[in-house]
Amino acid sequence: MLSGRDTLYVFQAMATPCEVRLETDDAVVAERVFQAVETETRRIEQKYSRYRPDSVVSRINAAAGSQVEVDSETAMLLDFSAQCHALSRGLFDITSGVLRRIWNFDGSNRLPDQSQIAALTHLIGWRKVTWARPFIALRPGMEIDFGGVAKEYAVDRALAIAGGITKAPLLVNFGGDLCVSGPRRDGSRWKIAIEAVDRSGAMEGLLELSRGAVATSGDARRFLLKDGVRYGHILNPKTGWPIEQAPRSVTVAAGTCLEAGMMSTIAILQGRHAERFLKREGVRAWCIR
Amino acid sequence: MQLKRRPKVRDQLARLSAGLIAATIAAHVEQADAQTYDTQYGQKYNTRNDDFGPGIAYSQLDAAMLVYSEQGGRITAVEPTLELAVHGPKDQILSLGLTADAVSGATPNGAVKTDVLQTFVTPTKTAGSSYSVTGASGGSTIIKVPGQAAIRQYTVAAGLLPMDKGFQDHRGAFNLGYAQPLGWLTQFGGGVGYSMESDYSSITGNVHAAKNFNGNNTTLSLSLNTEYDTSTPFGGVPVPLAVMDGTWKTAKSKTKTQMGLVVGLTQVLTRNWLMQLNYAYDNQDGYQTDPYRILSVVDPSSGEPLRNIYENRPTKRTSQSVFWENKLDFGPTLTDISLRYFKDSWGITSKTAEISERLDLSSSFYIEPSIRWYQQSAANFFRNYLVGGQTLPSYASSDIRLGKFTSITYGAKVGYALSGRTELYVRGGFYSQTGDGHPADAIGQLKNQNLFSGTKAMFAFVGYTWNFH
Repeated sequence: MLSGRDTLYVFQAMATPCEVRLETDDAVVAERVFQAVETETRRIEQKYSRYRPDSVVSRINAAAGSQVEVDSETAMLLDFSAQCHALSRGLFDITSGVLRRIWNFDGSNRLPDQSQIAALTHLIGWRKVTWARPFIALRPGMEIDFGGVAKEYAVDRALAIAGGITKAPLLVNFGGDLCVSGPRRDGSRWKIAIEAVDRSGAMEGLLELSRGAVATSGDARRFLLKDGVRYGHILNPKTGWPIEQAPRSVTVAAGTCLEAGMMSTIAILQGRHAERFLKREGVRAWCIR
Repeated sequence: MQLKRRPKVRDQLARLSAGLIAATIAAHVEQADAQTYDTQYGQKYNTRNDDFGPGIAYSQLDAAMLVYSEQGGRITAVEPTLELAVHGPKDQILSLGLTADAVSGATPNGAVKTDVLQTFVTPTKTAGSSYSVTGASGGSTIIKVPGQAAIRQYTVAAGLLPMDKGFQDHRGAFNLGYAQPLGWLTQFGGGVGYSMESDYSSITGNVHAAKNFNGNNTTLSLSLNTEYDTSTPFGGVPVPLAVMDGTWKTAKSKTKTQMGLVVGLTQVLTRNWLMQLNYAYDNQDGYQTDPYRILSVVDPSSGEPLRNIYENRPTKRTSQSVFWENKLDFGPTLTDISLRYFKDSWGITSKTAEISERLDLSSSFYIEPSIRWYQQSAANFFRNYLVGGQTLPSYASSDIRLGKFTSITYGAKVGYALSGRTELYVRGGFYSQTGDGHPADAIGQLKNQNLFSGTKAMFAFVGYTWNFH
């Protein structure tokens, strides 16, 4: 079978360029897929963005101190996050976002001092959250965000929704978190470039994928630099400080984008043991230091 | 900070991630399919905008302007409407509608065309005008004879359909509704409304409940509605079948009570086919006569009008109707086919068939042509005119809406989505009524007149829908 033409659709959502690539000559089907994916992505963004005051996340955060009832989808994401918290032994924590109030990864040398960090520690920790489906209650001042989950979830949802419309080969790529529906029509694999960590935009490597997902975590563009020490944007919720000696970026291949994204996040949270962790887990991964 | 757990993180993550996606797909996608139909076709105020997804509160504002114009200088109406729907995070819907109407033009008064000039008298709109005024106003003349109440008089040339050109009215209406899931019910709600014209007011109320079954593939609904109307005609309420005159009548107003129910079944038959079946029962009791409408009483041999008398309709009317609608999604086009059968206690039966086809020309632009065919039989008291010298029937009306006719409406809607949340739409159409203008039993000069008083009309809608937070 001949390889068809890729139809590409790009939109901006979740603060990242979102790319949908469909191998089809049927413009009508392509249009339906693109529209469905964009609609779904915007739905998820709308619902889980912490920047939107009307999102479910903002609603939960605004009610901190009292109980909020959530819908089943949100409940599933909270369960997932709780399980990831346990799997990572507390390193992945959706309550750690409050640290952003003092950590501003703008490439500068402005680090917060320990007293500022200490002032926030009582607001961090999933164990401080009362979660009894469908009710969640945060302590006053606490916040949650699905920053480490929502984009990957949106990619997987996009693939699933597109799969209900067409069987044509598809690639969904939201800012480097991507998945493919299967091999291309001619049986070949999708070629994916891994971006270099500097700002050159150059290619660090090329990987090929016939099914499943790839996700990257890292501090390629978000860091602080002081006294020659680079502080990456991945923070340790237990200390309030960035993870030390972490790889600049970790790219993981897995069955779903959620899995790949979470695996790469947990790997980077291992700091200097990231590679060892990935090797022991038997994960297909690419680390850049 | 090493992980030394025996079960690999990877295996557990793989299971959790796949499980999450599978669960959300199971929970959402079926609904999304059914919702697609609703958002594209259905009552937009009852359906959520998919763009916002479940669990998000948002509002929807729809502003539209309708212009309706009948041929031959008959009714022209301008109707701005504003609809606001507030969707809560748990499927609550609060809706508010405001409508204003300005209607003007000429309306057939019910008399037949003749080969002579006809003069009609009615009360003046302001009772007891104290000045003697004669002047042309909308083709009519106010005549004040000292010592007597003023009357309004208008003439209609030979061969023309008698119409009262003094017709002018304003209407204001509002509707308020609320619905939400309640216990076992998918939706339970109610609403009230009030509408007011200078000579007519109407209070409405309804309660409705719906329950989804089969993973939202089946919806059963029941709605009860009631209406209480008060008619306060200019010049008072005329005595039925009395000769038309310009005096103020002693009865000032009449009322009507309506009660109805609608039972509905909506079924998703396949991914591409949604069906809806409704049964409606309606009971009206009270004043249903048109207080301004008259009938000609004609000479039994020449057919010339002898006098004009006020019409009269029965006070009770019950009706039943069945409505069957199918929405079919053939990929790029969405087809809507509906059939309706109606029967009432006045002897009217009607059949309606409508088909519309929505073509999405791009993701943001669609066109939807439609055609509607309608045919009804006459009420058993419908008369083009009455014959002098014969016993007057108890009920009689020459209102063509109670007569036998066929109508066709050609329409088209063009919609342009300015974004996922705003849409500009334009709808236009042409409506044409046809009927028998030359019944075989016409008398004398009436044989030469087209007795059918149906109309042809154009209408246009411009609307804007805006979804926001």
